[in-house]
Amino acid sequence: MQSVAEFDNVGLRYGTDAETLSDISFKLFPGSFYFLTGPSGAGKTSLLKLLYLAHRPSRGAIHMFGQDIVTMPRARLPGFRRRIGVVFQDFRLVPHLSAFDNIALPLRIAGIAERDLLGPVGEMLSWIGLTERADARPATLSGGEQQRVAIARAVIGRPELLVADEPTGNVDPDMAVRLLQLFAALNRLGTTVVVATHDIHLLQEIEGAQMVRLDKGRLSDPTGSLKYPPRPLVLRS
Amino acid sequence: MRLPFSIPDHDRRLIPDGRLAGIMPWIIAIMLFLTALSAATAVRLGYSVQANSSGLARQATVQLLEPDPAARATDQKRIAAWLERFPGVSAVRAVPESEARQLLEPWIGSAVEDAGIPVPALIDIAFASPPDNAQLRALRIQLVRQTSNARVDTHSSWIAPLLSFLRTILWIALSVLLLLLVATAATVALSVRAALNTHRSTIEIMHMMGSTDLQVARLFQRRIALDSLFGGGLGLSAAILVLVLVGQRFSALGSGLLAGESFPIIGWLLLALIPLAVTGLAMLMARWTVLSALKRML
Ligand SMILES: Nc1ncnc2c1ncn2[C@@H]1O[C@H](COP(=O)(O)OP(=O)(O)O)[C@@H](O)[C@H]1O
Ligand SMILES: [Mg+2]
Repeated sequence: MQSVAEFDNVGLRYGTDAETLSDISFKLFPGSFYFLTGPSGAGKTSLLKLLYLAHRPSRGAIHMFGQDIVTMPRARLPGFRRRIGVVFQDFRLVPHLSAFDNIALPLRIAGIAERDLLGPVGEMLSWIGLTERADARPATLSGGEQQRVAIARAVIGRPELLVADEPTGNVDPDMAVRLLQLFAALNRLGTTVVVATHDIHLLQEIEGAQMVRLDKGRLSDPTGSLKYPPRPLVLRS
Repeated sequence: MRLPFSIPDHDRRLIPDGRLAGIMPWIIAIMLFLTALSAATAVRLGYSVQANSSGLARQATVQLLEPDPAARATDQKRIAAWLERFPGVSAVRAVPESEARQLLEPWIGSAVEDAGIPVPALIDIAFASPPDNAQLRALRIQLVRQTSNARVDTHSSWIAPLLSFLRTILWIALSVLLLLLVATAATVALSVRAALNTHRSTIEIMHMMGSTDLQVARLFQRRIALDSLFGGGLGLSAAILVLVLVGQRFSALGSGLLAGESFPIIGWLLLALIPLAVTGLAMLMARWTVLSALKRML
């Protein structure tokens, strides 16, 4: 089976500092659900940035959708980014765009005609319960509502890989569970999901989810302490 | 490439007018107004310099100072006929006595005839090309053999200081024009940079969602093209208004050196080109600025 992402002995160094990530090797398979855990500062965000093609590694090999993206020319990367949905830790909504326009952005970038995106965006708005707030700017939305818009924007293009960085960071526990169920629904449709979180309780919410643990920039084996033990993650030796 | 006039609504919302972008069209309007005025001045002066030097420099006047009116009249005919055959001379016109009197009137009054003051007979000649000194010397020497009382005045001798004055102003106008173009380019560069800073996070977000560099650059290009077309059109319209008004004043003045010929068509075309050139420049700068900012992202 072709992997969605494959890291082989990857290292990442910011400037001349010590390596933030070291010897990272793993494979993500299509349709799987992964939690990336670890204490704050462990390098979770850095690892996700490699996954959503915001950085190139300092060393090692990364294959995305079967292609070597380390040596890939810059001009070819946009095509790969369109296959990846990202929920940023700080949402990164465009402040002067309405909820509707924010959610429609990936489709417009992909060149979808205006008449063809009204339906999907409308559906997405009702799915996240914000039909009434379609014209609202992010600043007038609550934190949880902004987060839902950010998630809707990440999934509207039916990405093959969804990457979410602490997506439940500033919502109450009930909302956190509902958002996770949203991811699970998408996962059932075939999207590979990677959620970074330091909230260990979330891990129990998704049946069959696998855990990847980062500590001081290195991967450690899944703890096995979950209520639903994950299928073994394919960790490469 | 899509024309800059057709920005889809959603793209317009994506890069809305920031506070700086809102001022930009007006600054461009002012810069363009001044640029167009200095360009028009340069074109007008250049045109005058050229017209005067090519026209007047080819001309000369032969004066016959024979005091006896009858002899003067026959001399005028004879010399005019002789001049027509002179090598290099392309046109000869014997100035009628009444016209010569009119020319002299401002200096010696209307009582010329009554006082019996002799008026020299004038023959205007034009050379095929501006004569050099050797040609003029040959003319003078041979003319003296025809009649002892003749003088040759070239127009270039009195037009020369005026021409050099016009040329000086022309160079000043051209320098001012050059400075204004540089300042306009700098204004455009600054506002493009300001717009980029205002929208940096939008650009980053678009980039992370898989926008190509050209997609983002095009968005900016079109936005900035609209701004500078608007500003440019406004500035140019104001400048044209001023030019038409000034042109009317000059015609009223009736000075043969600056008025007379109307503003040349090529000058109007040049003026119309300025806002287009500035728009092109703005688009290129926007493109370059955005692309180089994006190059720094993966
Ligand atoms: N852009 C950056 N430049 C320099 N150092 C960074 C940068 N981003 C993250 N770091 C450092 O890398 C380490 C891991 O950070 P991060 O990946 O954000 O961890 P986490 O998301 O697990 O909290 C931290 O020590 C952080 O200071
Ligand atoms: Mg983080």
